[in-house]
Amino acid sequence: MAARWQGILTVTTLLAAALAASPSVLDDYAQQILAQAFFFAIAAITVDLLWGYTGVLTFGQSAFFGIGVYTVALALAYYVEGPLATAGAIVVAMAAAALVGAGVGWLAFFDRASPIYVAIVTLALPVVFTQIILSGGAYTGSSSGLPIPAPFLSVGQWFWISGGLLLLVAVGAYVLVTSDAGRILVAIRENEDRCRYLGLRTSRLKIALMAVCSAVAALAGAFYVLFATAAAHNYGDFSFGTEMVVWTALGGRGTLVGPILGTIGINYVSAVLGGNLPFVWLLFVGFAFVLVVVYLPQGVVPALVSGMSRLVRSLGETRSRILARSVVHAASLRALPSANGAATTPSEDGPVLELRGVSKRFGSLQVLEGVNLEARRGEVVGIVGPNGAGKTTLLRCIADGREQSSGEVRVGGRRIDGLPPQECVALGVSRKFQTPNVFDALTVLDCLRVARAYRTPASPWRRSRTLELPGPALHAVEVSGLLPRLNEPAGHLSHGAKQALELAMVLALEPTVLLLDEPTAGLTRDERAAIGSVLRELARSHRLSLLLIEHDLDFVREISTRLVVLHQGKILLDGPLAEVADSELVRTIYIGGKP
Amino acid sequence: MIAIQALEGGYGESPVLRGVALDVSRGEIFAILGKNGMGKTTLLKTLMGLLPAKKGRVELLGQDVTGWPPYRITRLGVSYVPQEKSIFQDLTVEENLRLALRDGASFDARLEMIASWFPVLKARLQQRAGTLSGGEQKMLLIGRALLTRPRLILVDEITEGLQPAMITTLTEVLAEERRAHRLTVVLVEQNVGFALALADRYAVLKGGAVVETGRASEAGAREHVERYLVI
Repeated sequence: MAARWQGILTVTTLLAAALAASPSVLDDYAQQILAQAFFFAIAAITVDLLWGYTGVLTFGQSAFFGIGVYTVALALAYYVEGPLATAGAIVVAMAAAALVGAGVGWLAFFDRASPIYVAIVTLALPVVFTQIILSGGAYTGSSSGLPIPAPFLSVGQWFWISGGLLLLVAVGAYVLVTSDAGRILVAIRENEDRCRYLGLRTSRLKIALMAVCSAVAALAGAFYVLFATAAAHNYGDFSFGTEMVVWTALGGRGTLVGPILGTIGINYVSAVLGGNLPFVWLLFVGFAFVLVVVYLPQGVVPALVSGMSRLVRSLGETRSRILARSVVHAASLRALPSANGAATTPSEDGPVLELRGVSKRFGSLQVLEGVNLEARRGEVVGIVGPNGAGKTTLLRCIADGREQSSGEVRVGGRRIDGLPPQECVALGVSRKFQTPNVFDALTVLDCLRVARAYRTPASPWRRSRTLELPGPALHAVEVSGLLPRLNEPAGHLSHGAKQALELAMVLALEPTVLLLDEPTAGLTRDERAAIGSVLRELARSHRLSLLLIEHDLDFVREISTRLVVLHQGKILLDGPLAEVADSELVRTIYIGGKP
Repeated sequence: MIAIQALEGGYGESPVLRGVALDVSRGEIFAILGKNGMGKTTLLKTLMGLLPAKKGRVELLGQDVTGWPPYRITRLGVSYVPQEKSIFQDLTVEENLRLALRDGASFDARLEMIASWFPVLKARLQQRAGTLSGGEQKMLLIGRALLTRPRLILVDEITEGLQPAMITTLTEVLAEERRAHRLTVVLVEQNVGFALALADRYAVLKGGAVVETGRASEAGAREHVERYLVI
């Protein structure tokens, strides 16, 4: 952890020194262009945080940049003067942008909004902004711009201010994306649904991020107008917003460095070449963009980095160094002190889960029809039935209160109608999906960390090396052999290992009702037995209520206390294991095939 | 039919396959077994061109396909049934099936063939594939793969999530296709019982290499294989 801060401090110091020294080697013209590019790069960083890390494609960051430009310009042109008032205007600009950003986020990030929807909302925003400026007449300067009485600073001073600001924002962004909370951003990009089922309020997180990124873009705009001494509507229009996306994509999204270098590179070269070859230059940028999208879809910087690392490896010595480094950073898991003996809730005897007349239709297809079901603590309820009987749909109706078409579902006595998955998690329900659902781009440890974030909020600046997990989750990690693989990306795990990881993730939520959809599919017999013992233990010692879908009747027999047979959306049998498992009905519809 | 020599490959920098060598002949049903994480899925994906082969050679249906993109391998007459349910969620069942064929003329006849194996698919022809249950999606996957009358089919854990009766049907379907059209089948399986009942020969992968091959009908084959599956 200390090493991380030391690294950040060293790099920051080196960059600051380079910044301080560069005016002595750069001429005024170069400094002028670079100062402008630095301000733009700050806005590009916010695009990268939103799009590269969190997966929210936004064309609207220019509007927030524009809010910064015009708030300060209007303030200085009509109302205030002096350095203190200017600082005040900048703060107001950031606050206004944050408000607008939060509003846009609120509109764009409701549950189940598709990513395209977000792109369209953010595309509309700069259009609206430009219209407002253009229709402002003499007050906003309309299309001819608004000159302001800005303080006079030399080009060299502006170079330092813009560079310093960029460095500050870049370091801040770096700290965020490498922090524990930064892992959550990536998790949202990778699989937002899984995040919701881990109890994370992803919409709120995205709205908060949007507000912060808007404020930062406005900060860049506010300083930029002081530097440019005139406001113009094209700093808030949609083509500027799109350019930011292009710079980010060219440099390499999700890398921070890529968008910064992309912005600086394109702006610098286009200023130098654009003077001599104005049209050819635009054509060249267009071609470069197409080439990068086709041949280096990751962007230029990641392609360079992977090329370099390949080169270094071919020189032959890195393997051992990489290994050595991963040992230094060895992650570890700790058991959470088990204080939840007291947390065992009062309603120990009543059913923790109750379904009354639950039905579900997809159009004309009736998937569930009048299902009544109860489950108590310490019970393992096996749900069997042929393919298409509605088993997964039944679990879905318990994990998401918006799923059922009619009927009522109660968890711990509370009705869940209309509650989204993240609220159901808060009531104690957690669901393991049928196909393993982990975050492929994150390491095993980070997947567990994201799963744990609902209980222990993740820090937006610290990067912890250790993670405390509740006993059962830790046990699941141990028996499935994941312990030595904590630093591997989850995407590299085999199918079975992903199954085990997802089980550990849902157990990290400390649920009272655990929904398992074929938890042992794709596992070998021994792995199956290991998971089986974990599950039995959960019901016995931790008094969890387990609902388990399984096709493997032997496995069901081994761990269930009760068995439910579902067929064509209805419960046909519900009773103690021994009675139901050996019934004629199970044999005919399930093993024999045709009812 | 299939000849794999000294094949190495994997994801990114981490090697998974470390020198796999295998030969499968035409009309054979071949099972690839082993614990999780031993490279079974990686092997199928590398054969199919979905992952790059770092070293070695892959020959399918008499052609050296090393380095070929997946679509060219498909056009040779190779079908792949991945473990993930990679169907087009927003298209109907029928559209999912139609997409597999490059010419539509034979669709109706082939559809009847699929329907005789999996009646539920025919009943749901106009339904959005994403609304099928997990097991039904598996049926759609295998149906779509067989619709093209492939010469070679690579199947990754098809029995996962299927009810026992459906596994029996599947055994019959694959055996019949092999008998009637000399289809070659390569199976990756955790369900050792199913795999050995259907396959002619098997190989066990461990640490990214073949450590054992044998005939599925040999006495004690199952015990033999399961030795390798113990943790």
